[in-house]
Amino acid sequence: MLRFILRRLLVAIPTLFVIVTATFFLMRAAPGNPFDGERKLPPAIMKNIEARYGLDKPLIVQYGDYLADVVRGDFGPSLKYTGKSVNQIIAENFPTSLKIGLPALILATFLGILLGVIAALKHNRWPDYSAMAIAILGICIPTFVTAPLLVLIFAVKLSWLPIAGITQGLKSYILPVIVLSLPLIAVISRLVRAGMIETLNSNYVRTARAKGLPEHTVVIRHALKTALLPLVSYLGPACAAIITGSLVVEKIFGVPGLGKSFVLGALQRDYTVVMGVVILYAVLVIALNLIADVLYAVLDPRVKLT
Amino acid sequence: MRSALLLTALAAASVLLGCGRGEQKAVRAPCPSGEACLEMGVGAEPTSLDPHRSSGTWERQIISDMLVGLTDADAAGEPVPGMATHWTTSADALTWTFFLRDAKWSDGVPVTADDFVAGLRRIVKPELAAEYAALVYPIKNAAPINEGKLPPEQLGVRAIDRRTVEITLEHPAPYLPYLLLHHVAFPVPKHMVDKYGDDDWMKPGNYVANGPYKLVSWSLGDRVVVVKNPLYWEADKLCFTRIHYYPTEDRISGERQVLSGTLDTHTPLVQNRIAYLRREYPQYLRTHQSLSTQYLFFNNTLPMWKDRRVRLALSMAVDRDFMTTKVRGMGEPAAYSFVPPGMPNYTPLPPPEWASWPLEKRQAEARRLLSEAGYGPKKPLKFEFMMRGYDPTGTYAAVQADWKQIGVQAVLNTTETQIAYQNYQIRDYVFGEAGWVADFPDAMNFLYLLDSKTGAHNYGGYNNPAYDALLAQANLEPDVQKRAAILRQAEQLMLDDIPIIPLFTYVTSNVTSPKLSGMVENPGDTHRARYMCKAELKK
Amino acid sequence: MTASTLIPGMRDGSKDMQAVAGRSLWDDARRRLFRNRLAVAGMAVLGLLVLAAAIGPFLVPFAFDEVTKTDVYLRPLQSGHLLGTDYIGRDMLARILVGLRVSLGVGITATIVSLVIGIAYGATAGFIGGRVDEGMMRIVDVLYALPFVFFVIVLMVAFGRNIFLIFLAIGAVEWLTMARIVRGQTISLKQAEFVEAARAAGMSGAGIVFRHIVPNLLGPVAVYVTLTIPQVILLESFLSFIGMGVQEPLTSLGTLISIGANNMELATWLLIWPALFMVVLLMSFNFIGDGLRDAIDPKDR
Repeated sequence: MLRFILRRLLVAIPTLFVIVTATFFLMRAAPGNPFDGERKLPPAIMKNIEARYGLDKPLIVQYGDYLADVVRGDFGPSLKYTGKSVNQIIAENFPTSLKIGLPALILATFLGILLGVIAALKHNRWPDYSAMAIAILGICIPTFVTAPLLVLIFAVKLSWLPIAGITQGLKSYILPVIVLSLPLIAVISRLVRAGMIETLNSNYVRTARAKGLPEHTVVIRHALKTALLPLVSYLGPACAAIITGSLVVEKIFGVPGLGKSFVLGALQRDYTVVMGVVILYAVLVIALNLIADVLYAVLDPRVKLT
Repeated sequence: MRSALLLTALAAASVLLGCGRGEQKAVRAPCPSGEACLEMGVGAEPTSLDPHRSSGTWERQIISDMLVGLTDADAAGEPVPGMATHWTTSADALTWTFFLRDAKWSDGVPVTADDFVAGLRRIVKPELAAEYAALVYPIKNAAPINEGKLPPEQLGVRAIDRRTVEITLEHPAPYLPYLLLHHVAFPVPKHMVDKYGDDDWMKPGNYVANGPYKLVSWSLGDRVVVVKNPLYWEADKLCFTRIHYYPTEDRISGERQVLSGTLDTHTPLVQNRIAYLRREYPQYLRTHQSLSTQYLFFNNTLPMWKDRRVRLALSMAVDRDFMTTKVRGMGEPAAYSFVPPGMPNYTPLPPPEWASWPLEKRQAEARRLLSEAGYGPKKPLKFEFMMRGYDPTGTYAAVQADWKQIGVQAVLNTTETQIAYQNYQIRDYVFGEAGWVADFPDAMNFLYLLDSKTGAHNYGGYNNPAYDALLAQANLEPDVQKRAAILRQAEQLMLDDIPIIPLFTYVTSNVTSPKLSGMVENPGDTHRARYMCKAELKK
Repeated sequence: MTASTLIPGMRDGSKDMQAVAGRSLWDDARRRLFRNRLAVAGMAVLGLLVLAAAIGPFLVPFAFDEVTKTDVYLRPLQSGHLLGTDYIGRDMLARILVGLRVSLGVGITATIVSLVIGIAYGATAGFIGGRVDEGMMRIVDVLYALPFVFFVIVLMVAFGRNIFLIFLAIGAVEWLTMARIVRGQTISLKQAEFVEAARAAGMSGAGIVFRHIVPNLLGPVAVYVTLTIPQVILLESFLSFIGMGVQEPLTSLGTLISIGANNMELATWLLIWPALFMVVLLMSFNFIGDGLRDAIDPKDR
């Protein structure tokens, strides 16, 4: 097990390197640059700007310079937000994304497992149908509909919660967390339900039942453990995506998170910001996938980690 | 039983979603006790608070509440004395002399003529790479300095003494007082820029202001906070002592925050909600015709657009009245000329005769013109129409449908905004659309776009030596009336060539609490916070 | 849809089982699927929706891009517009049907792309294991961490914009999760008795993967497919939102809903009807997916 983790950590270094390299060149391959706009900058000004950010050097030299900076932990200045460095943007916005993403993840996992287990235990009866109806609605109503709808009800009409912004303390986070967790609850409960139904019919659960173990022991100790396997695979990358923020939630609720930097950075060709966020995201994905694989092995003794 | 339940649920839902107007108990951001807070949604995240490195209207709002130029805007956006109490102009209209008031930066250092010289030299110096530098090109030698051909010291601006600034121009520019209230011409605290450099002087903590408010903090995506500058010369007249600016990128959310009382004002609005706001919240909605034109343009360098009859047919067939009254519905006036109405020292050109014809007649005429030009059902005119980004209003879908009526197939191609501009600039497109908002209120600011010397920014590649010559002539004319006559002649010449299809004049839009006073709607959407107040705060 | 693409290979694989059971595994599955009332209802509704998308636009008296200038923002049932009109006077029913067509096209095509790549990739990695698995999964990690939006932008601008590319771009990204799930299941399955038995009988690796492992994966895969189709449809609307989606006057359900969300207070029908179609469409996919899972899961026997 330890050897497995160590090896994966070693492999992570070349993986990250490939990601940085691929993103760097992919981004430069896209047409456009961060300084294009309505007014074509006079060539003299364009040259000044490019010199300022070192964009006038050959691409391969820029790549080398960038790698050297990244190794030192410096992601460079933002090309769009003059006066802010990428490190500063991540330091300012990542905590906010975490504050919304983590509670959403916990809420979704808890409710998702609960709904999924109930649905599986009452397979093809009304609790199953109602749990799955909720799940289906959660999946097929986009966040850009649920967010304004909840705002309309709880903020505009009832005035219980703020419409947007994070200036109202805990209250500011309630709606964003709920909106972010809704589709996740739906996906998790369906995965858990499917897994549970399968394991509840499997031989070893039948054996456990036959041995006369109490039902809750069978469900929690035996069935649930195996049923969570597909969930574990799913949660790894989903978790990375959620805690790095969501454009829709951030835009509608006026939350200063990282999701915007990702999409807007790409659209505005803010190369350094995109690179910074991609690297952060990549580190998270690799780490969380490693954790997912380890968990997989812990939950399923049939899997050998080598 | 079941239907009764359903009815109850529906009733409950309609109470939740339905009427119930008026401001509820507002959930506002905490305001420190003893302070009077203004909550303002500016619509986007500032990319910079450096007056010489920003270009957005949302940045202008914040920067202009902290820094003041030689002239300043009054509540209606018109120039009034700012740091200069008065000014004089030489007979040839080329030399302007400004006399400064006795004022201090927020750190107590006096504001001198040197700060203005430093500011103007700073925006044109090549190393700063200021995007908006071209705006001050009317100042002598600004262009060659910006291109690195002359040293910044050669700029036509000098300090005659500590309190007198002299500006020399390349050509007469009657709009100079307007230009000077734009942030490109703002002074910088020379002592701070010298100390911290071009990048760091504007960070919170270093940023000193000569205007009514000074910077406290700026957190990306959250808000910018400024407080009253007690050293501002009219500090005692300020109503609000603290302002929070929010990057309300979601326009509907910004609008709702104003309606619920969380914010005091927000701009801009979503186009197709205007009708709803006008109906339900008329006291909140504020609009004003702006100095702008939305237009379509041909890539005039392509042989397929050589035939004037084709261009005329396409222009005639566009139903601008449907577009402005039904599709957009914000009260935008339909446009048939390029310079918008309301331009100072300029009389708009009359619309062409066909503008008053009923649509059917225009369509018939357009079909006739097209068939004369060799197009018809067997050989329809088909082209790609490149748009700047997604158009949620349906404006161009409506244009497309108008053309379908005369047998023209326009294929809409939504292109990323910046890529579209890039393609326009290198003329790698067939047909495009753009909008132009005046940088300063002068007809020349519109007409120069179609000058062949303008280069990439002349998106349509219009090239008419007679037009160029008239513009050059107008630039040398010191008499305002004669200059306007030449410019009108030029515009008429250009419009008769139909290189562009003007559509409409934009309208500014704010949603503002009726309690907020001192916000006068104006064409430039210029609103200095120093004039604003709330009834309950008036002493 | 899932089953039909994979049935030929699998039918062969169950020959030996057929001899014992005396009847086809798949006949059995089909019988069970048709006994599931929700799944049957789902199939019926999906069939109707597909039919509506295919021929509906020809039956509606208005073209989806026909602008009626006097009929802007008409409520449902006015002037012959069954579901009302939009902001430039286009018939909503016609637009929804065309949007349904586009969304179905995007959803199904992209999902098939992701399904084929995901299953082949995940099963291969999981079955071979060791270094190959390691390498293949690291490639998945790399692709996961690349910004999707950027990938699409590069595709669009480099190759021009058309719907086909949107399908491909979405499908090419969506297979990653599928591959991970399939791989995880494969690793579990490969230690199962029947695989050991096949191996002992001298069956080739590829044979084991496609005859024994893939059929056993169909349960979780069917479930994931029912999750993928809505995801794809939503992704497409997100793309339209940032200006990279279907071109006007064409539309999709996601685009219609996003426009409707902006008009929530003033023209509810612009949101409600497309949303209703979307919910019904996705619900039918879900019921079919669940039914399919129950029907083809051999462990139930």
